[in-house]
Amino acid sequence: MRNAAAAFAACLILPAAAQPLSPGQQAFRGIYKEMVETNTTLSVGDCTVLAQKMAARLKTAGYPDSDLHILTAPDHPKEGSLVAVLPGSDPKAKAILLLAHLDVVEAKREDWTRDPFTLVEEDGYFYGRGTADDKSVAAIWVDVMVRFKQEKIAHRRPLKLALTCGEETNGAFNGAKWLAANQRALIDAEFGLTEGGWGTMGENGGKRIALGINAGEKLSQNYTLDVTNPGGHSMRPVKDNAIYHLSAGLLKIGAYDFPTQSTDASREYFARMAPLTGGEMGAAMTAFAKNDQDARAAAVLATDPRFNAAMRTTCVATLINGGHATNALPQHVSANVNCRIFPGTTPETVRDKLQALVADPQIKVTAQAAHNEPAPAPPLTPMLMKPLIAEAAKRWPGVPVIPQLEIGATDASFMTPAGIPTYGFTGMFFEPDGSRLHGLNERIRAPVLYEARDYLFDLIRIYSK
Amino acid sequence: MRIFVSAALAAALTIPATAQTGPGQARFRALYKELVETNTTLSAGDCTLLAHKMGAHLKDAGYTDADLHYFTAEGHPKEGGLVARLPGSDPHAKAVLLLGHIDVVEAMREDWTRDPFTLLEENGYFYGRGTSDMKAQVAAWVDTMMRLKEEGFKNRRTVKMALTCGEETSTAFNGASYLSSHERELIDAEFALNEGGGGRLNAAGKPLMMTIQAAEKFPQNYQLEVTNPGGHSSRPMPDNAIYKLAAGLTRISAYVFPIQASDITRTYFAKLSPQVGGEMGAAMTAFAKDPTDKTASAKLASDPSYNAILHTTCVATLLNAGHANNALPQRADANINCRIFPGTTPDQVRATLQEIVADPAIKVTLVDKRSEVPKGPQPVNPRVFAPVEKLVAKMWPGIPVVPSMSAGATDGAFLTPAGIPTYGVSGMFGDPDGNGAHGLNERMRVKSAYDGRDFLYEVVKIYASQK
Repeated sequence: MRNAAAAFAACLILPAAAQPLSPGQQAFRGIYKEMVETNTTLSVGDCTVLAQKMAARLKTAGYPDSDLHILTAPDHPKEGSLVAVLPGSDPKAKAILLLAHLDVVEAKREDWTRDPFTLVEEDGYFYGRGTADDKSVAAIWVDVMVRFKQEKIAHRRPLKLALTCGEETNGAFNGAKWLAANQRALIDAEFGLTEGGWGTMGENGGKRIALGINAGEKLSQNYTLDVTNPGGHSMRPVKDNAIYHLSAGLLKIGAYDFPTQSTDASREYFARMAPLTGGEMGAAMTAFAKNDQDARAAAVLATDPRFNAAMRTTCVATLINGGHATNALPQHVSANVNCRIFPGTTPETVRDKLQALVADPQIKVTAQAAHNEPAPAPPLTPMLMKPLIAEAAKRWPGVPVIPQLEIGATDASFMTPAGIPTYGFTGMFFEPDGSRLHGLNERIRAPVLYEARDYLFDLIRIYSK
Repeated sequence: MRIFVSAALAAALTIPATAQTGPGQARFRALYKELVETNTTLSAGDCTLLAHKMGAHLKDAGYTDADLHYFTAEGHPKEGGLVARLPGSDPHAKAVLLLGHIDVVEAMREDWTRDPFTLLEENGYFYGRGTSDMKAQVAAWVDTMMRLKEEGFKNRRTVKMALTCGEETSTAFNGASYLSSHERELIDAEFALNEGGGGRLNAAGKPLMMTIQAAEKFPQNYQLEVTNPGGHSSRPMPDNAIYKLAAGLTRISAYVFPIQASDITRTYFAKLSPQVGGEMGAAMTAFAKDPTDKTASAKLASDPSYNAILHTTCVATLLNAGHANNALPQRADANINCRIFPGTTPDQVRATLQEIVADPAIKVTLVDKRSEVPKGPQPVNPRVFAPVEKLVAKMWPGIPVVPSMSAGATDGAFLTPAGIPTYGVSGMFGDPDGNGAHGLNERMRVKSAYDGRDFLYEVVKIYASQK
């Protein structure tokens, strides 16, 4: 690892273990640790508790109570948000909104190698649920708010922090949506920054390849597949079995590839990634950028899950549940199929396609309530992009910032339609495993996190002027 | 004594008429209703409560506290049971044991047409969880015990009744297993009568045969498990735990275990054949003669009830995977419930399943072992069979009595190895579809319940008078 590190420019790699943390980094790490170790899953966690912990930190840093707002909807006491305001020197200047979600995807201790709710630093990685998604960003925002206050950094624009709950679960109470509808004035800003736009780097702390900024999002939509059956005693099995119907249907969905599509941003992304990637994959990117119906190029791109997701609607089974006793034939089984719909395709079209694919009238496919409406991406203005590119070039020379179609979904989809154009940009690089977002043993490179902290701080200082 | 018995028997048999229809039947129905309406599922029910309710009725009928023995095991306060005794006049005669489980399979209100824990009578059927498995028979046992006491019946042999919990859930505390190992003396008997036997109706509701269950298949659960690193569902990958499991299940659904036969199943099909007639009857005759007759076994397999006693069967019953709707599944598992034909071991079936799924990523493991694998079928003991044959000839002339192998498992699996050979005798006729036992909208024909009550009362009196 040392040798590999030496092969690259020193500025590209910060061997974290080799350098003692600065007092500022230690303070930041404390915020981050408290975030990861406060369980904020929908099932057993509590966002409100974490929002209060962060409010307490800001209060210690000098924020008056009047600038700290813990907000909960009456029916969702554990799904609260924190909004903090740091007024700027110019009362007419519009604010910058720093948006992050506190909640995390469910994580089962028995499935993970380490406790998902303990921040573990090992071999240059931080491990734990939310270490990347989205407590890395949330901790940086809190750190920025603390430092601006404590260090009395001059800034013309107000800074607003919004830490919300419910981003991870379709169907759950969504704090960002709620703020946009109920506390619009409190969070008003000229623009917002949130998760997304993750950069690309090599394995094991390898070379930084490119940074991204979101230019449009796919739409996340869940579908339920239901099969019901009279059931019966398992000692006399019958051919008509709900589990077997569902299994066969899911296999057909798993085997299907949606047609390839592109947007201006996704074609630009592939065109610019091509020379950085090189080889057969690079050639496929060039070909696809020219013609999104090039089947050979698409086949090559499809071998990488990231690129596959960036060129078509994808659907995948994420949950299944069925049966009521070990010794009874199942009366009801269901599956959740999570689709990421390419801009321009409607959720209803995808439902119809799924129903046609399963080719079984016993499987009922229904669309769950929509998370949000598809929204056009805000324009990438020079005011936003110039400092972002310049600061990145200083830290990571030769690493471009490339607009990309976000294959996931973020709370920007609630803010942008509410008139606060919100950009998915973090200055963080992910290895090819995608930092294992939502998966087992989620992690992020420690140096990546510390670098992003510095980078975002400097960037906000520039924006706030 | 002999004369008395014969006379009593003659009196009883001349009249399906001793069939009480008035207050006696109403009281039986009330017992049945109380049994069904007391929830005894593992998740939310309480067997101990129901055992005490039944005990209270026996006390009202004249049983002393000394003859009512309630039991619960430590750590299982709601899974208790009751053993009741009606001492016989001959201290040397061995007892006969009436065995019944009072727990039921889970039932979800939202899946059922009617409330599963309300006894409803509709179109000639009783509906509710446990109506057929096995609260009608339990009601008949309690009713019989009450009537014998109230009538001052002079039983030579002691009659015992054991009501237990945990039969329906293989991993739960099992009362019959507990009694066999901890209260062996209390339940000691020459033989026990239990669920598992009974009459079979054809689709038109005509009685075909009466079975005495003398063998059973061995139930065994297996777990299929696939694990995966998972990830964000916005970037699906070809290697997916749900799809792997689904493919394995699809292969299991297509597999058919080899056809097997035993003396009991051959006798069963031979005797049933003339009752059924037609193409199916011919297949039964052919199979009884030659179990390797593939045309015959294929015909029999087209009926799920016959199919179940032709070979080992395995079916997926539970499915579970994933941890969030927007995350790739890290774990997918299924429960496969197998009913193993006597002579095959659970380990052999596990090896077969692992081979069928044809994917090393799917781990197949034995979940638990409910009881010891039985050594073989019970003997066709005339002391058990003859009274049933006599009574059936009176109540349903022309209907054959045949030994059967049950596809389901009963608590006989615990008592028989403990030296109390257990036979399935119920006298209740069931529909060819299995009456929704363990399934949705479980039901029992009203006539079957009342006839079964009459039958069991009379047959217990014969057993109780045996030398």
